[in-house]
Amino acid sequence: MQMYPEQIVKSLMNESFHSRRPVVAMFVIVNVVMLTAGLLWPKSYMGSTSIIVDEKSIMEPLMKGAAVATETADRNRNAREVILGRRILGQVLERAGWLADHPTALEQEALIEHIKARTTITPVGRDVIKIEYRDSDEGRTLFVTKTFADLFIQEMIAQKESETRSAFDFIDKQAQEYQQKLAANEEEIRQLRSSNLDARPGSDIELSARLIALNTRIENTTMELREAQMKGASLERQVSGEAEVTVLATREGQFRARIAELQAKLDTLRLSFHDTHPDVVQLKNQIQDLMAEASAQRERREKAKPSQRSGPDETVVNNPVYQQLRRELSQNQLTIDALKARIAEAKRLLEEEVKRGKGLHSGDARLIELTRDHQINRDIYQDLLYRRERARVSINMGSDRQGSNFKILEPATSRPSPHAPRFWQFVLGGTMLGVLIPLGLLFARLRFDPHVRLANAISERHKVPVAAIVPHLWSPGELTGLRKELAMLALVVTATLALSATLSVVRLLGVL
Amino acid sequence: MSKIEKALKKAGDERGNLQVVPAAPAGRTAPWTALLGQQIQVPETIPRMAENERKLLSADELGERGIIHPQHTEEPAVQVFRELRTKIIQQSQEQNAVILVAAVSEGNGGSFIARNLAAAFAFDSAKTALLVDCNLRNPSVHQLLPNAMLPGLADYFENPEMDVSKIIHPVGIARFRAIATGGLREIPAEYFVSMKMRRLVDSLRERYRERFIVLDGPPMSDIADARILSELSDYVLVVARHGRTTNAQIESGLNAISSRKLLGIVFNDEPRIPWIR
Repeated sequence: MQMYPEQIVKSLMNESFHSRRPVVAMFVIVNVVMLTAGLLWPKSYMGSTSIIVDEKSIMEPLMKGAAVATETADRNRNAREVILGRRILGQVLERAGWLADHPTALEQEALIEHIKARTTITPVGRDVIKIEYRDSDEGRTLFVTKTFADLFIQEMIAQKESETRSAFDFIDKQAQEYQQKLAANEEEIRQLRSSNLDARPGSDIELSARLIALNTRIENTTMELREAQMKGASLERQVSGEAEVTVLATREGQFRARIAELQAKLDTLRLSFHDTHPDVVQLKNQIQDLMAEASAQRERREKAKPSQRSGPDETVVNNPVYQQLRRELSQNQLTIDALKARIAEAKRLLEEEVKRGKGLHSGDARLIELTRDHQINRDIYQDLLYRRERARVSINMGSDRQGSNFKILEPATSRPSPHAPRFWQFVLGGTMLGVLIPLGLLFARLRFDPHVRLANAISERHKVPVAAIVPHLWSPGELTGLRKELAMLALVVTATLALSATLSVVRLLGVL
Repeated sequence: MSKIEKALKKAGDERGNLQVVPAAPAGRTAPWTALLGQQIQVPETIPRMAENERKLLSADELGERGIIHPQHTEEPAVQVFRELRTKIIQQSQEQNAVILVAAVSEGNGGSFIARNLAAAFAFDSAKTALLVDCNLRNPSVHQLLPNAMLPGLADYFENPEMDVSKIIHPVGIARFRAIATGGLREIPAEYFVSMKMRRLVDSLRERYRERFIVLDGPPMSDIADARILSELSDYVLVVARHGRTTNAQIESGLNAISSRKLLGIVFNDEPRIPWIR
């Protein structure tokens, strides 16, 4: 149901009047409860102290650049862990006198939790940590705060010392390790050098130059060989084309030519004349003579053949071109053989060189690797030596308390806690709650009570007009009673307020 | 106080008791009569009622009995009942009517509203009021009578010869009469369904034209009785009380009666600080 503010105010006024006795009773109860709480609320003091902390890990500057340091834990959390750690809290318990009654382990645990809950550690700025401790006892507050600060500084210095020591040990160990590595490295290089004499700087360049020269020689010789072979083939072809001897024109041949010529002439004449014609007969005789001459010539030759006499034959002579070609051919063959031998020799040399090169290379790579390792190890080793000396100085400084980075900025103080509720707050709260709680309850009843409390709620809900809203009819006797009752209630409220005021004054004066 | 009542009061002061004005011819009162002072044509019953009136109760005595009085001008309840009465008169167009006042449930103050509504009708010198106690289980009208044993509804139903006038009794308020249940004996609810009850209501209505009859009904949780009585009456007022009545009760009560006759809901006992207006 929609309610306007003035309607709410009016309804609340009427309802509080209607339920005046419970409202006043609740006001009184709330006030009394709050006053009691205010009186019984334990007094609270707060001790605080600030400490400058330069908590840079000793490892960090020492190992800078050589090893990657892990991210240091959050400073505040670290400080909190240390201060609220079992070691410091145990000592605080002992020194502040909590252990005087010999509490059991369980009780000690509860005490520690209690102290933890009342201690706050807050970072102020970059390097300052503030420790605050609350307690009901003023002296103890101061003592515990001071103890916290002292123990924290002690603990941190001890921690730092051990950290420096462990850093030194670590660096020392590393240095020794690198020294051994370096020695092993050098020994290996020495052995490699002695086993592989060729392995010296520049030998690979020389080798490659030699290989190139050999290759060039082989190529050139191969070309010469091919040239000679081609020349040989060409000579071969020419030799086969030339005759060993030349045959001159023979007499028999001349006779045969003459016979054929005369025969032709004879055939022509026979066309026009009879065999008896003088020209024909003459010709026949001439042919006969010539044939006889030719056969005589043949016979002579036939006679000469069986004797196999290499007598000069006036018709056959040695061919001079052929002779020349034969000479050149044999010359060429000689050249080819020589070239072949030269190529084989060059190849052998090349193979030898390649084999030597292979050995040279493997030795060379290993040498380079070893040299590089040696170089790096030497650098790191030198760096570690330098750092080890610095760490040694740090240890000496720590043992002399020279390099301490923990100082108390603000000595422990104790004052009434600003966060603890004051008595006047209880009084004021009691009065306000005494009014607000009943009003709130009345409002809740107005909204959620299934009984009808507002006339317009009826018309709105049941869609029926409200014919009249009849207020309570007070009889004269009732009115007198009401007046008395209201006076009584006013008295009760006034008495409650007076009690609150009196207690506040008394408290201010410091009596309670 | 309405203008009419102021005028009447003034006239009464000047001329003694207005109620003893000589009788005018019988008939209905014109709506404007109240404004005319001396010239009011008062119905013949009113002077006769004045003769029969027992000693009138003072304003304080009425206050103690929880009944409004026109002199209680500062009392907000008086104004409320006056307005309610005027509303009903307007609704009935100046004719008399039978009004059933029924509480949603027991303890909602139905009788209180009925009694005071009747008293408000009686404020007007030209009207009379008759309060009939129909709440058989928890009767209250007899408290207004000087003697609780005076004959009432029960006697009327049991004696067929009994005249109606025998059960109508003055209560000490001018123009206000009441019919109690009759002694404190139980009367069966079946009487309400009888023709006799209907005839009684009709004769009460017909006999005195200026009379407004208020039935103090049983709570509506008694659905049967409430329904019968609502049929007998012209208008119904349903009473709900602050902090006592739930919406569910109102819902079921409203279902029991005809919405045609329903005038509305009277929200009773609203808390209000007495001296703050």
